[in-house]
Amino acid sequence: MFFRMVWGTFVRQWKKLLMIALTVALGASIATAMLNVMLDVGDKMNEELKAYGSNITVVPQSEAVISKLYEVDEDEVRADFITEEKVGELLTIFWANNIADFAPETDMTVKLNGSDVKLVGTWFNHHLEFVKKGSVYQRDTGIINLRSWWDIEDGVWLNEQAVDGDAYAMVGSELAKTANITAGDRIELVGEAKTETLTVVGVYESGDDEDRYIYTTLSAAQRLSGTDALVKRIEVSAITSPDDELAVKAAKNPSLLTGDEYDLWYCTAYVSSICFQIQEVIPEASATAVRQIADSEGKILEKTELLMSLITLLSLIGATLGISNLVTSAVMERSQELALLKAVGAKNGQITLLVLTEIIITAIVGAAAGYFLGYAFAQIIGQTVFSSPIDMSGMVAFIVAVLIIAVTLIGSIPAIRTILRLRPSEVLHGGH
Amino acid sequence: MNKKRRMFIRTIVASLVRRRSRMIIALLAIVVGATILSGLGLIYFDVPRQMSTQFRSYGANIIFTPTEEDGIAEEVLKQGLSYFPASETEGYTPYRYENSQIHNMPVTFAGTDFRLVLKTSPYWHINGELPAHDGEALIGAKVAESLGIKTGDTVSAVNSFEVTKDMDVSALPSYEIYTDPETGETYCDHMLDLTVTGILETGGSEEEYAYVSLKDLSYLLLSERGYDIVEVSVASSQAKLTQYVERIEGSVEGLSAKLVKRVTASESTVLTKLQSLVFIVTAVVLVLTMICVATTMAAVITERRKEIGLRKALGAFNSSIVLQFMSEGLLLGGVGGIIGSILGYVFAQYVSMQVFSSAIMFRPLLIPITILASVLVTGVACLIPIRNAVEVDPAIVLKGE
Amino acid sequence: MSSLLELKDISKVYGSLHALDHVSLTVEKGEWIAIMGPSGSGKSTMMNIIGCLDKPTSGEVIFDGRNISKESNQKMTELHRDKIGLVFQQFHLINYLNAVENVMVAQYYHSMPDEKEAMEALERVGLKDRAKHLPSQLSGGEQQRVCIARALINSPELILADEPTGNLDEANENIVLDIFRQLHREGTSLVVVTHDPEVGEVAQRIVRLDHGKIVSDRLNEHFLNS
Repeated sequence: MFFRMVWGTFVRQWKKLLMIALTVALGASIATAMLNVMLDVGDKMNEELKAYGSNITVVPQSEAVISKLYEVDEDEVRADFITEEKVGELLTIFWANNIADFAPETDMTVKLNGSDVKLVGTWFNHHLEFVKKGSVYQRDTGIINLRSWWDIEDGVWLNEQAVDGDAYAMVGSELAKTANITAGDRIELVGEAKTETLTVVGVYESGDDEDRYIYTTLSAAQRLSGTDALVKRIEVSAITSPDDELAVKAAKNPSLLTGDEYDLWYCTAYVSSICFQIQEVIPEASATAVRQIADSEGKILEKTELLMSLITLLSLIGATLGISNLVTSAVMERSQELALLKAVGAKNGQITLLVLTEIIITAIVGAAAGYFLGYAFAQIIGQTVFSSPIDMSGMVAFIVAVLIIAVTLIGSIPAIRTILRLRPSEVLHGGH
Repeated sequence: MNKKRRMFIRTIVASLVRRRSRMIIALLAIVVGATILSGLGLIYFDVPRQMSTQFRSYGANIIFTPTEEDGIAEEVLKQGLSYFPASETEGYTPYRYENSQIHNMPVTFAGTDFRLVLKTSPYWHINGELPAHDGEALIGAKVAESLGIKTGDTVSAVNSFEVTKDMDVSALPSYEIYTDPETGETYCDHMLDLTVTGILETGGSEEEYAYVSLKDLSYLLLSERGYDIVEVSVASSQAKLTQYVERIEGSVEGLSAKLVKRVTASESTVLTKLQSLVFIVTAVVLVLTMICVATTMAAVITERRKEIGLRKALGAFNSSIVLQFMSEGLLLGGVGGIIGSILGYVFAQYVSMQVFSSAIMFRPLLIPITILASVLVTGVACLIPIRNAVEVDPAIVLKGE
Repeated sequence: MSSLLELKDISKVYGSLHALDHVSLTVEKGEWIAIMGPSGSGKSTMMNIIGCLDKPTSGEVIFDGRNISKESNQKMTELHRDKIGLVFQQFHLINYLNAVENVMVAQYYHSMPDEKEAMEALERVGLKDRAKHLPSQLSGGEQQRVCIARALINSPELILADEPTGNLDEANENIVLDIFRQLHREGTSLVVVTHDPEVGEVAQRIVRLDHGKIVSDRLNEHFLNS
């Protein structure tokens, strides 16, 4: 009989129940979309913050110690190098997937039309294949993504995979102006070991000292300086977690951590643990965080996440109030019918059970629909803002389910209480 | 007509007051919608301003460089800074760079004002303290490592120069004079003892300098001179910064202003993303909330189908019923809008204080917009169920289900 | 004296169901008619058509000399507002308005709300002291009396009551019937639709319906016009 009554409500009152289910679905979709966006916003903004360029620099161990303060010094101090083949080791570290981009660099002074110019050799859009212990690691990487702020004033970005890619160069805007260079020009550069003629494919404006530099491919630079297969520095852009107490403690000296702390630190993408892992695979190198970028990232992320979580909170409050509101009014509306049940002898417990069963079934249907709707909204947000899908967390489904059921139950309480207090005669005679 | 209007108002008031629980339900729905609209609206418009301040943790975004040989003079600097609104200027730091020696090793000294430096370089990690007095120094990590300097050490900075005949070095408090036996030239080592209060770690080129106060540097070098570089941090959009820089370039003599593109261009990329994130989130939440408001209003109206049928049976024209119910709905919409815009402001203020520790900028225009939107949504939400109810034959409604 | 209402060969068809099947009925001014019959006999349909709430499928309705079966919905609304007072089994009072306000609603749609007149109408049904009570604070009988006061307020030519005592106990039933007697003495035409013999037997004329047809139409010999 009980189920027949529940079923009866569904058949006869389907319009009202549909309305409740719709509202629950809307509320659930808000909750799903906002919670998922909130949980993923850190990662997404982190990727956006890669616009600021590298947050880790890797230099040779000895280079880190020896002062390289002056231009004049550079000739005297014989700086040590990292070998180019070691660069691929970056792909083998624990947090390799968090390394967004990296580029090895070497720099030197060359002569252009008789005057000294700083030349940097690096990867632009390099295809890297690295083999270690039988595994093949591959990555397309280079400086293009590490210099998002460069304006190409003239020409195009250097494409080192082109046929003549190795004989191309890019020139900073100030140097281009003083030396009167435009894209398409050929420039003759006199290096320590060799003189080469390169084709200028682009002129860039960087807004800093690099406006006076020449950028070319790593191999071209190595030919000019005669330092085959050697690099002076690696710029690394990694997606990191903001520093907390553990990170600060570890940054001082990882060996002071307890075993558990060490494991946690090692397996968290702190900038310090990534630096540490880089040094593990390239022992002759020293990796340090670029504080300007790494610290600010943490701060911006923290603010963004807090902002999003408060917005999410407001949305959740809104959604829950909306649902409980409608549930309350929907149950109240049925007071007459329920009082009739009372009049024919139904006990309070039975009526409550009946109402709750109906409401919960409706809410579950609504919440399930809402979850998928929310999934769609989250993806719309992800695609529109970040052009990438939002990761859906399984936890969210759980939270939404608990939230919806709780809200529905709480929403039914005032209405059920009113109904239980009613005397049947009042309702039946006091109608509209 | 007057009596009729009085009855009309009496009915509406009675409906609002005596059907309190239902009205509260409807009002609550509208208030929630209006709060979300005005709260998220305020946040959306204020995010660029607030975040812009946060982005100053990347440090200076404008650099002044001298156009004259002897650096940027103090008054020229003041003139340049006057082009930025005081409310947007986070700070500025002047630097003077000179080569000298510590422990017979060449070191680049940077003279600066330590009281200002963290405003433009908030990312500096200092092992120890920032110098507070003259005679103290902050040593870059790389310099410290290569020279074996630790916090608390006292180092001697040495400025070595050749003494020419017309020079009188005897006035110097701390010096050593020696003659090169081969060339016969006389040199003076002018010394300054510095207490190292901290080691600077940044992961950047700053680690390659020794920082002292401007006064100490002038004393060590025995020469006064303007600044070689001034870093300025201005919380503003890239477009406005470009404007400021162009204006300074055209009118201030003695310095050249330049945007730090790495900071400004990246900031505008990230900020655009962030704002569009808040925008679309606001849009999605608003649309869903408004639908929620609409379904609640529809439920509240649908509940009154019998009353509508009765009124028809008593001889009411459809238009008269629509007018009465719409007035009720619109009134609720208006009241809900007012309450919602106040609550929204409170929420936005709370968020702003929590996240950015600063007050939200109040935008008066959002109040009429919120109220108007609440009235509109409520109106549309009521109109459809009312029209449906009015179309139904009263005989059917009154017979009951 | 002309008839107040004439139903000429009325049929009402819902799908394949003939709710009313070629029915003719004349109501004279001042007459008190009870329309009786079991459920499904077509009582309610008849009541709706008399009350101008519904239109017949075929046949003519002439009210006070006007053929209303051809009139627009708006004209019908005006007609039943001006000439007919309705009393319902479920009372249908607006639950957030008090007794006197409920009466005033009828005035509002008819002409002009007037609290004094409304109070007088309540006085007539003996509810003067309950005027400020909400329907939920009134007993079933009291609610029905408010409903009658509301039906009276615009001085209709016809009061149409649908099972007016269906939800009332005997004491209240008698109060309501007394009011009907009073109205009848004052010359108001009454049509009472009921299945309750006790209510039907007090009317002046009794019309019985079954399966959409009039099976009997007689004057009540027991009618006491005291």
